[in-house]
Amino acid sequence: MSVRDEVRQAMGALSGGSAPGGRGATSDLSIDETLLLHSVGWEPVDMVFGVSWWSIPWGVWQWTTGEVQAASAAFAGAVDQAAGLLRGECQKVGGTGVLGVEVSVRVSSHHVAIELAGTAVKRTGRPHEGFEFISDLSARDFVLLTRAGWWPLGLAAGASFVVAPRRTVGQWASQQGQNTELPNLTEALYLAREGAMERMQRAGASMKADGIVAVKLREGRASSNIRVMQFVAIGTGVHLRAGEHQVIAPTMVVPLDERVRQFDVTSLRGSGGR
Amino acid sequence: MTDREPQTDGRGAPAEAPAEEVAAGRLPAGLPPDANRRLAELEDRPGHKGMFTSDLSVNEFLLIKEVGFHPLGFVMGSSIYHLGIQTRRWSQSQELSKLTEAMYEARQLAMDRMDAEATELGADGVVGVRLDVNYYEWGSDTAEFIAVGTAVKSEDGRSYRNQQGKPFTSDLSGQDFWVLMQTGHVPLGLVMGTCVYHIAHRGVGQTLRNAGRNVELPNFTQALYEARELAMTRMQDEANALGATGIVGVRLEEKSHMWGDHTIEFLSLGTAVADTTVGHTIPQPQTIISLDG
Repeated sequence: MSVRDEVRQAMGALSGGSAPGGRGATSDLSIDETLLLHSVGWEPVDMVFGVSWWSIPWGVWQWTTGEVQAASAAFAGAVDQAAGLLRGECQKVGGTGVLGVEVSVRVSSHHVAIELAGTAVKRTGRPHEGFEFISDLSARDFVLLTRAGWWPLGLAAGASFVVAPRRTVGQWASQQGQNTELPNLTEALYLAREGAMERMQRAGASMKADGIVAVKLREGRASSNIRVMQFVAIGTGVHLRAGEHQVIAPTMVVPLDERVRQFDVTSLRGSGGR
Repeated sequence: MTDREPQTDGRGAPAEAPAEEVAAGRLPAGLPPDANRRLAELEDRPGHKGMFTSDLSVNEFLLIKEVGFHPLGFVMGSSIYHLGIQTRRWSQSQELSKLTEAMYEARQLAMDRMDAEATELGADGVVGVRLDVNYYEWGSDTAEFIAVGTAVKSEDGRSYRNQQGKPFTSDLSGQDFWVLMQTGHVPLGLVMGTCVYHIAHRGVGQTLRNAGRNVELPNFTQALYEARELAMTRMQDEANALGATGIVGVRLEEKSHMWGDHTIEFLSLGTAVADTTVGHTIPQPQTIISLDG
């Protein structure tokens, strides 16, 4: 079978949905997580994907100084589009939300590629509800969060690309052998990080989130130019759905497993949802 | 700071504190305007609904809420620093004070900026602080020092700032923070001590004498011992300055960074804590056998 046929078959299977009597649910959740979801009245439906590639104009890495706006814009566009596709697939299979979304960000000289993959979930016994959320939180986190009265809304992401400034020969020479801060470099990278976080905040504000949890700040080199740095901030926007925060009451536990583990609040999960 | 009474020394209502401090010029200088703008967007103002951001996991977030704190925002500070050069003697063990100073100062710059961001948000403290050092291909002899964490504020209006009037900092996770608070302790600050040490090479004579024998190498032992002691003493001095009753979660890291085999940085890091309640009973932990694989 050619790749084209395989893709066509997969698309056909997807559009068929998980109707009763059709194929069963597919998910990358662990057994623990599946049981946990069932215990609070949710179930996995299917694995869903959203992929988007955006091009970056030729030469921006070489000819820009400071922040590379074109690349940040491409990133934002790609994230929106990938999330839109993910949402489309989720609705197609009858899901209410997507959990455990893996976010892969690849930036090369000419494009930004965003790949989102997660498990669509829905409330047990209710076939078609509106779409509610996309989140990179695990099923376990979802259960804990909702028990405390919070609700995930969507992925909030922001990126910033910056070309690290060069030191002048004079600066370079005067700094040799000295203990000294490099203010222009410090400021450039500082602003790039702040920029990524600010864009993430704006994404959160646009979905009317009360907060963004589990923020991950990823950094690295973008493009083949070693002076180009990328900063990506991603988290899940959350909203306080119940009137107020419901206090969970953790208990201190000492696990008797052979493997010595630190105190872990996940050991609480049996207390309410068994 | 041995009691947790609300502070009434003019710092006043939490929401007004940053504005007052800015007006009084007490904020450390050098917070870039973009950082101020981002932080301002986090705060609640008339006509603008604020939000929080946090790198805490959901577990940590809920535990922080449970002990009566609310996250305010993800805060950070960084400094790109050019490390000086210090000559080392091949056969002499010694502290390289210039490099020690550099490692101290650069981390301090990063942490002060993180503190400034937290102060700007009117925070009582910063939890889950991580200190990292990055090296970039484009910078010879330079390193970037970063401090990140989540600024938190107490929900009952009490001030948890330390005796220097700054938000406390702590590298404890949300889980550890919760346990600490259960035991009646409060964090005061992240304390560190560092020592960059050059360890002497062995002489040819010594190498030959020891060949094929089981012997202790006293000069190596002593050098490493002294460097660790110096780092730990400096950390303890910082804790004493905060009026701490102890330091928890101490980690001792040893790294050669870019200096080669015989030059090592010994860094000790921990959270200084104060015992706040006399006669506090620590809850009895429950023992469980988990069914995880």
